[in-house]
Amino acid sequence: MFLALNIGVYDFEESSAFQVLWKFISGDSTLPISEKYIIWDVRASRIVLSVLVGSMLAVSGTSLQGMFKNPLATGDLIGLTSGATLLAAIAIVLGHTFQEFLPEWLRVSLVSISAFIGALLAMILVYRISTSGGQTNVVMMLLAGVAITAIGFAITGLLIYISKDDQLRDLTFWNLGSLAGATWTKNTILFLVLLVSYFIILPKGKALNAMMLGEKDAQHLGIDVEKLKKQIIILTALMVGSCVAFSGTIGFVGLIIPYILRQIFRSDYHFILPLSAICGSILLLIADTISRTIVAPSELPIGILTGLMGAPVFIAILLKFKNNLR
Amino acid sequence: MIKAHKIDYKNKDYKILESVDISVGYGEFIAIIGPNGAGKSSLLNVLANEINTGKKQEIYFKEKILTDWKIEDLSKHKAKFSQHNSQDIPLLVKDVVMMGRYPYFHSQPGNDDCKSTENAMHETDVIHLQNRDYNSLSGGEKQRVHLARVFAQLDNDVAHRLLFLDEPLNNLDVRHQHNALELIKNFTKKNNTAIVVLHDLNMAANFADKVLLMEKGKAISYGTPENVFVPEIISNAYNFPCTICKHPVNQNPMILFG
Repeated sequence: MFLALNIGVYDFEESSAFQVLWKFISGDSTLPISEKYIIWDVRASRIVLSVLVGSMLAVSGTSLQGMFKNPLATGDLIGLTSGATLLAAIAIVLGHTFQEFLPEWLRVSLVSISAFIGALLAMILVYRISTSGGQTNVVMMLLAGVAITAIGFAITGLLIYISKDDQLRDLTFWNLGSLAGATWTKNTILFLVLLVSYFIILPKGKALNAMMLGEKDAQHLGIDVEKLKKQIIILTALMVGSCVAFSGTIGFVGLIIPYILRQIFRSDYHFILPLSAICGSILLLIADTISRTIVAPSELPIGILTGLMGAPVFIAILLKFKNNLR
Repeated sequence: MIKAHKIDYKNKDYKILESVDISVGYGEFIAIIGPNGAGKSSLLNVLANEINTGKKQEIYFKEKILTDWKIEDLSKHKAKFSQHNSQDIPLLVKDVVMMGRYPYFHSQPGNDDCKSTENAMHETDVIHLQNRDYNSLSGGEKQRVHLARVFAQLDNDVAHRLLFLDEPLNNLDVRHQHNALELIKNFTKKNNTAIVVLHDLNMAANFADKVLLMEKGKAISYGTPENVFVPEIISNAYNFPCTICKHPVNQNPMILFG
């Protein structure tokens, strides 16, 4: 985190970034306004955003995998991200007409609320299509994701076609995924979402383990399966939706992290659920630091990096499940 | 213990259970037998609160309507061993058995939880497998792991516990079949109840206190093994000729088909 703070395009001349940050925190009036802006509003807020987003994407992936009982279930593969992107895009394009009349927090939340609704709708659709009688059909789950992604892609394309210049910039930002738009308002909202979701989801390790026995047997172990599924559906939609609203489509985090953790802790959700919260933020922080330094002074879209890491993991899981998928 | 009156259950337009009455007392070992598709598993599932039959069924568990029980409380009073256990659980054997203790601890298992699981693994002869990957076990070994899990779940101080088992003997060899039924028998001797779906009629005759014979969704005979295992009743139900004589050693009915 400290390294990430120190690395960047802007050069603080003599002093290191930590000294600058310290000066800022201690309210040193000699600090130039540009350095103040860079250290606090650009770099620190971006680091916090990447930590929050990475953590939530990984946890949402892990809990979806627990619910669907399959390591391929993640927000991006089953279409949650597309659903969120779609409604967020609609909110941007149509919301512009009355956005001037709204205060900033509401303007930011308008997009996040629609992203949440989009993710929730996609989630319910996928769940209805792929699951019957407590059994999830993996092929149906992934194909439902493909279908939702296709719809999302088509309508987002249409929106790009009809949108004006500044809206276009916003929309492109969504499709590529970037943490550059970090502000402290966004971070606060995300942090609240994170607190609420983790408070409910992180203690569910036992319940998700029991789900591996099958939903009926989990119920015999005293777990209210219906309630658990509702909580996971709503909270993952909330987490994925708000991540998409603030950072666009950053793929594969929810796939990579649980996969790595499963290699170490098997599928014991008691460990991998809280650990994915930590490892997810580490992964995204590293990826973001690389993405904004590797081609400095420009920056690489972060989706490229996570995609490069995630696609091989995807293929590895597919190979492992080749026999089961037949 | 558990009492149900006129259970009906339809799947689409197929009648699976048709006005089945059942009443089971404390300390009884009930065997449910019958040909394929007779509704044995469905009856067990309905009694275990697994399937919603669509309309309000009056199933009383310990003098209280089953659906009025809290799920958490029920898990300490009854457990179920399912016919189709999940084949893919990427955990260690002892972690799978520990799931049986989930109703008793919040986040970390306590000492008595570990003792219960160890005990249960000893009883079902899987203690030597405890550090193996569950997925690497054979069918019969997996079956015994789940048996250990349900026994660990009911290892508590509640008076009159109820255990449902759906074909627990599948895939088990002769020694483990007898061992499993001995375990269930011992469990019922402590004033607990077990309702077990069995395919092996001779096993049912040797171990069960009462036998429920089902055919085409109806309970056609319910009583002690001597009363149910009568040649006419059995050969009619299974549509296959049979003779019944006395077991030379323990004098229980012995069923010979063909």
